[in-house]
Amino acid sequence: MDNRQIPKGLRDLLPEEVKNRRKLEQKAMQIFTSYGYKEVMTPTFEFLEVVETGSGKHRERLFLFMDREGGILSLRPEMTVSIARLASMHLRDSSFPQRLFYSANVFRHVQPHLAQYREFWQTGIELLGASGPWADAEAISLAVKLLQELGLNDFKISINQIGIFNGLLANATISSDDKDEIRRLVEKKDLVELERRLEKLDMPDSWKETIARLPVLHGGLEVLNKIPYLEQHSITEQAVKDLLHVYEALEDYGVAEHIVIDMGVLRELDLDYYTGVIFEGYSPELGYGLLGGGRYDNLMGQFGFPCPATGFALGMDRLALVLARQEEEPGRYLLGGRNLRAMVVKAEQLRSEGKTVEMDVESNSLETLQDKLRGRRDLCLIYLDEQ
Amino acid sequence: MDNILTIALSKGTLLKPTIALLQQAGLPCEGITEDSRSMIFTFPGDPQIKYIICRPTDVPAYVEHGAADLGIVGKDVIVEQGKDLFEMADLGFGYCRFVVAVPAHMKDLALQDLNYKRVATKFPSVAERFFRDNGLQVEIITLHGNIELAPLMGLSDMIVDIVSSGRTLRENNLVELVSIMDSTTRLVANRVSYRTKYQEVQPLIEKMQTIVKGGINQ
Repeated sequence: MDNRQIPKGLRDLLPEEVKNRRKLEQKAMQIFTSYGYKEVMTPTFEFLEVVETGSGKHRERLFLFMDREGGILSLRPEMTVSIARLASMHLRDSSFPQRLFYSANVFRHVQPHLAQYREFWQTGIELLGASGPWADAEAISLAVKLLQELGLNDFKISINQIGIFNGLLANATISSDDKDEIRRLVEKKDLVELERRLEKLDMPDSWKETIARLPVLHGGLEVLNKIPYLEQHSITEQAVKDLLHVYEALEDYGVAEHIVIDMGVLRELDLDYYTGVIFEGYSPELGYGLLGGGRYDNLMGQFGFPCPATGFALGMDRLALVLARQEEEPGRYLLGGRNLRAMVVKAEQLRSEGKTVEMDVESNSLETLQDKLRGRRDLCLIYLDEQ
Repeated sequence: MDNILTIALSKGTLLKPTIALLQQAGLPCEGITEDSRSMIFTFPGDPQIKYIICRPTDVPAYVEHGAADLGIVGKDVIVEQGKDLFEMADLGFGYCRFVVAVPAHMKDLALQDLNYKRVATKFPSVAERFFRDNGLQVEIITLHGNIELAPLMGLSDMIVDIVSSGRTLRENNLVELVSIMDSTTRLVANRVSYRTKYQEVQPLIEKMQTIVKGGINQ
């Protein structure tokens, strides 16, 4: 039955899921609009040269194909690079800062599992042309507001400044392969391998101690005082100050209770364009990150229009999953019974209370209906047993 | 929300040293055995501790998907599965190593002579990566146990397997040709649990690191 298969990692969305999804998107759009963000769309696929700008060469993660002129095309793996290209081509003469948002499907050749698909939906913002801690704080506080308004009960945003890590390696004479590997190990919190790799590298022991400490530095502002030998690294010191200023701005925004400082947050290696404060959002309901973003001041320059920028993307598939998990009260009822008149009265009463009620029009028995609903949490059975 | 810390433990040879370590780290573990019918053990407290006793190869899945916050499992399993886990500490015990082994009469072969040969293994990813990194192409035959039989029965020319003492190899007239990598037991954590349960998880990790550095008294 070849004509009934779909490619690995893709899926159909059924009416209930789409309805929820659209509701979330609309709510997100409302919030973005109220902050002055405007929606843009970019092509679903771009030239490989565009996709590889800033994000480096990670072709194994891309869906690639050829056009008829011999150009290599890639389905977009994320939106930030495309929007940077769009802005540097079309918005040069507009007034900055520019606030843009999007809601789009993106494609990555990953190993599919729960909450990780090869086509997934991202909703996010880009704040272009603004540097400084207030701009970072706007992006992060908007992320907090978004998650709150979309109905998430419990979540944390981990923040870091990529300069803290980069500054530690800035003066070290090590190859870029070694640097990538160290970054990957810090990001993956592979403490065992990290220690081994560091041992082999040629740099002062005090630097190694600092790097080895990064993955476990996690908490409130006090974390910033726990970086050993900070005074030996001027770039790192500067980055720590920047992070402190952003944190203070987030206190003014009133969202600090959701913020955790985490020196191990370095974003995925294949999103290599970050230059400043970076952040990721988590819910305890799901073992994977929900949103991610940060400052990328050098990306637009690679499209010929140097411009500071920050932004984030929220994974809508994962968000929908978390919201479904935290939902306890089923919103819909299936009403069965033997006396149609009584059933109609009951159904109308529930509907007038705002509930959605489906009538069992096949006059099934209680047992049949119970069988039908077994394992379904979205539909709650009511059975009127009177004659 | 209830404060529960779930830890996935590997059954089999790792279980005994694992329990010794948990005991030293001050965690409750009275009555945990794999002979028991129950595979889940819960101990009240703050946080409440819940253990899942499962096959070693299932531990990474429990932790990656967040069904367990922490897991204790061999590096051999982690490296084969390549799951997205935080590897927080080398616990030192359960030593073994990945080797390429061949029948005794082939012991003088060089690595290059293995090109286009057939290799039987329980660890297809490790085997494939090793040969590819050495510029060799081999045919991989995945088996689920008693790998050492494959060359005896003519199913393969060589095997990739884990050995600790090397006794099984000797008994089957096989010799180690190349050592691929060493493996010991690791403490792994879920990406999100580590951050959302940092207050419970991090002190525990540090305690285990200290115990391991001082050696475990079994």
